[in-house]
Amino acid sequence: MMYDVIVIGGGPGGLAAAISAHENGAHVLLIEREARLGGMLKQCIHDGFGLARFGERLAGPEYVERFIDRLEELGIEAHTQTFVTRVEKTPAGFAVVTVSRDGVARCDTRTLVLATGCRERTAKQVFIHGTRPAGVFTAGTAQHFTNLLGELPTRRCVILGSGDIGLIMARRLTLEGAEVLGVYEAKPTPSGLTRNIHQCLHDYNIPLHLSHTVTRVFGADRLTGVEVAEVDETMRPIPGTEQRIDCDALIVSVGLIPENELAESLGVPLDGHTRGPVCDGQLMTEVPGIFSCGNALHVNDLVDYVSASGELAGKSAAHFAAHTRDEVALTISDDFGYLVPQRLDRTEDNSGVTLYFRSAAVLGPCRVVLTIDGKEVWSRRYPFLRPPEMQQLTLDFDKLGIAHARDAHFTIEVAEA
Amino acid sequence: MKISALNRKLHRAFGGRVTAALADGCIVLRGELDCWDDVVRAGQMAATKYATCHVVNDITFTGGKDAPMRVPALQDDALDGQAPDVLIIGGGISGVSIARELTRQKLDILVVDKECDLALGASGRNDGEVHPGIDLGRGSVKHKYIRRGNAMYDQICKELDVPFRRVGQYVCFQHSWLRPAVWGYCMWRKYHDGIADTELISGRELLRREPNFNPKTRFAISNPDSGCVCPYGLTIAYAENAVQNGARIALNTAVLGMDVADGKITAVHTNRGTLHPALVINAAGVFAEDVARMADDRFFSIHPRRGTNSILDRKAGAFMHSIASVKGNDMVSKTHSKGGGILHTVHDNLLIGPDAVETYEKENTATYPESIAHVFSKQKVTMPALTERDIITYFTGVRAPTFEEDFIIERGRRTHNLIHVAGIQSPGLTTAPAVAEDVADMAVRILARERPVAINPDFDPHRPGIPVLREMDDATRAEYIAKNPDYGVIVCRCEEISRGEILDALRSNVCVPTVDGVKKRVRPGMGRCQGGFCSPQVVRIIAEYLGVPLSAVRKSSADAPITFGPTKSGEVQA
Amino acid sequence: MKELTCIGCPRGCTLKIERDGNGWSVTGNTCPRGREFAISEMTAPKRTICSTVRTAFPDAPVLPVRVSADIPKDRIFDVMDALKTVTVSERIGRGDVVIPNVLGLGVDVIATSSLLRHRPE
Repeated sequence: MMYDVIVIGGGPGGLAAAISAHENGAHVLLIEREARLGGMLKQCIHDGFGLARFGERLAGPEYVERFIDRLEELGIEAHTQTFVTRVEKTPAGFAVVTVSRDGVARCDTRTLVLATGCRERTAKQVFIHGTRPAGVFTAGTAQHFTNLLGELPTRRCVILGSGDIGLIMARRLTLEGAEVLGVYEAKPTPSGLTRNIHQCLHDYNIPLHLSHTVTRVFGADRLTGVEVAEVDETMRPIPGTEQRIDCDALIVSVGLIPENELAESLGVPLDGHTRGPVCDGQLMTEVPGIFSCGNALHVNDLVDYVSASGELAGKSAAHFAAHTRDEVALTISDDFGYLVPQRLDRTEDNSGVTLYFRSAAVLGPCRVVLTIDGKEVWSRRYPFLRPPEMQQLTLDFDKLGIAHARDAHFTIEVAEA
Repeated sequence: MKISALNRKLHRAFGGRVTAALADGCIVLRGELDCWDDVVRAGQMAATKYATCHVVNDITFTGGKDAPMRVPALQDDALDGQAPDVLIIGGGISGVSIARELTRQKLDILVVDKECDLALGASGRNDGEVHPGIDLGRGSVKHKYIRRGNAMYDQICKELDVPFRRVGQYVCFQHSWLRPAVWGYCMWRKYHDGIADTELISGRELLRREPNFNPKTRFAISNPDSGCVCPYGLTIAYAENAVQNGARIALNTAVLGMDVADGKITAVHTNRGTLHPALVINAAGVFAEDVARMADDRFFSIHPRRGTNSILDRKAGAFMHSIASVKGNDMVSKTHSKGGGILHTVHDNLLIGPDAVETYEKENTATYPESIAHVFSKQKVTMPALTERDIITYFTGVRAPTFEEDFIIERGRRTHNLIHVAGIQSPGLTTAPAVAEDVADMAVRILARERPVAINPDFDPHRPGIPVLREMDDATRAEYIAKNPDYGVIVCRCEEISRGEILDALRSNVCVPTVDGVKKRVRPGMGRCQGGFCSPQVVRIIAEYLGVPLSAVRKSSADAPITFGPTKSGEVQA
Repeated sequence: MKELTCIGCPRGCTLKIERDGNGWSVTGNTCPRGREFAISEMTAPKRTICSTVRTAFPDAPVLPVRVSADIPKDRIFDVMDALKTVTVSERIGRGDVVIPNVLGLGVDVIATSSLLRHRPE
């Protein structure tokens, strides 16, 4: 059996990719390792999803189940509780080897869409020391216990990190009767969306402590407390500012890491900034026939963008034909956190390329400028840019003259105060 | 050294605050000190390396207080009145390997450990190196067992079905001028001390074998007999084989006191009742001195030494495939393994460490950032590609050395139905298979004086391990899944562990139905996400297996709940 | 004058609102929802609630739910208490009503997932 497109990952990115590949005429297989489709949105029961796409404020499951329903309507083949153990390159494309209750299977495909999502950075990865008690959770794990298993993981906790999942969990746990003593953020500015600071923390009088971090945990069995400290500009704890807080859990929301171990096994080069694959405007990675989307490509803050990138990757995969690429890099100045895609293939249609970017720091009124071969060809003003809030824009690179360009460079000019 | 000379030396160092006296064939230190490092220094001054006349430390330390021994909350009389032939105190590698060797005889063997699982002391918190013995000279108990223990590893790991790899160890040097001295040292070790696999190799040869090592390495000591094993995996396997052959293991069982009369232990008090064993084996690790005191047979002292290891992502495992350590100019000095080494584990992670810090706290396994920074700065010399960014977790173990820095493997000096297996630290894992044979022999000889001891005709040395699906070829894997479809349901995505493997761990004959217990046996949660994705699922599988609510599942001990019950536990409306 | 952060969408506009005769003057909003939000915050703040309710099914112990429209902010915990009183014993689907007219607030509690329709193998 030969598929045109195998999509790995049945979250919002993968679902959108599978649907779009199918709608573009491809014979598609979607592979999901969990028992149910939907990815992380299964447990994101809060609202606010789909505003851009559906004009409605949907809960996570509502949003993603619309895609699952569509997938079923279209009769797209999806294998759940099926785990990809490895992918091999073949003359015709790729062979995906999976395990499931049915055994070991090998599926051939012309192209692959990697929609493998991301994982949470752990407490140890931010160098929290002390003992190893029960009660140290990533926000996503706490969310799984609370929203999928209906179990309270804490009665009295401290949250480290002001990422959106941490903020959402602060509210969620408060609603379920737990006491959230405070959210601590090592950076001087919050990591999550401003509105989440308001509706998740301020609404419930949960204090946010910026420039503070958790340095260690206490407790031999269950966690009994944490030590928090103020940090300096380099985010190092300032000696003498340590303070012990008694609690039964530490919930960490300290960042997400795109999961690209499978991509790496196939020799797909990653971007050090996004930790996702380097892609062109069609979301094809540097390995022909392998596409990337969603949070595996870069960590998005809105699921609407995840779906959009899935759709593009799925469509591109469906239309994939082997060819020699003629690539030009989209380079960025240091003011950018990152920019996706990282390059354009000049043999492709680049008349409507959607770019996603984040600034590296909080910036006031500024201008994003595109320079091609040293000449400013495009710019846009922004009242502010904040790293937590990803920006999206669509440009007609063909019109901007990418066809004969040697380089394309983005900069941010901050207006003088 | 004469005791008067020692006292003069102590007087010079501590201004009369510490004195030494000879008593019962031991050097007893008394006095009062407020700095723990001074206490250790006093002990080291008094000790003669590898001597059998031990230092007993009765110095009152006023600078801190170790927390009382952690004792399980459990209280019952499940063991009350039992009279096993052999009571082994301590479920570490020493205790359970002895238990396994003893099951070759028809004996009632009981292993007790106060923790909720095996190998929760130093046995589960070391780097798993099977040492070649390059740093050991003749005359020590360690040396007596090192080569024999090392050589036994292939067979014992085969019998117990645990992974073992003889990957070889390198000690790297960056100064060519050291070469003649190191050559001399190696030849002495090789021909005088019998560390037969020792050879010197050039920097070029080293880099051919390990291309990511520091290109400035000029030469290295190579010990190809060195290997690695999963230390807690081996401990658990030994225990399971012991139980298979009739031994019993009681976890959550702490020895709290003993009755001793006429040089004989007559009763052992635990939180689960009083036992009357014919023979007691003291394999209590950092608490070996406490057990000796209870048995009225304290002739040595333990000074705990903490060490922290970091575990690196499997991706970093590709950097090197052996064991390495770097030694500066102090190669031949008496310092302990202060910066540790780099070790490619049997699970393909890298382990970096451990350091060595003296501590009065026997059970403080907390980690500190300084340890990691220190170890990394040392190890980057060997392999510059190392980065803290690849760390997925870190842990601390507390070693249990005596001041003589040697093992004590002997019958009680005053109490005669007692064998001490004490002062066990590195290379205690390596020596364990050999020590276990000898201690079992010793025990049988003691028991045989009272009554005949028969061979156990049903002894089976083979312990079937839990299948590791990830390492199988597709066809074999498919066969396993066909027999048990749960082997096809992946629960831990990072380590590719199936539901079937987790259920196998729960069905083991030393069942430890906790998240950590399952993690140690089949590795869900050992990977880069550290259980973020799989721990709720593992909790659920354990709860279903035990038929208990999720909130009854523990991470480790009874006091380590993971959740606090249903969020929606309110009144149900009719 | 009061400064607010709009929670209407991820943009999170900073709104300024003050009394203007009998009405309100709102600035800083980039869409009409911002104005509505600001006025409602000053007069009768409302919020949505997303949570779960217990089910009778061991394979899915809880079902995610939300209120069908925003409720007064000060009734949030009352509704949370009301959610504790129900057990879903039918395999209902997304959008189905779990509690009609909860606490007489004129909004329903509805299921946000059809996960109960997905039976374990």
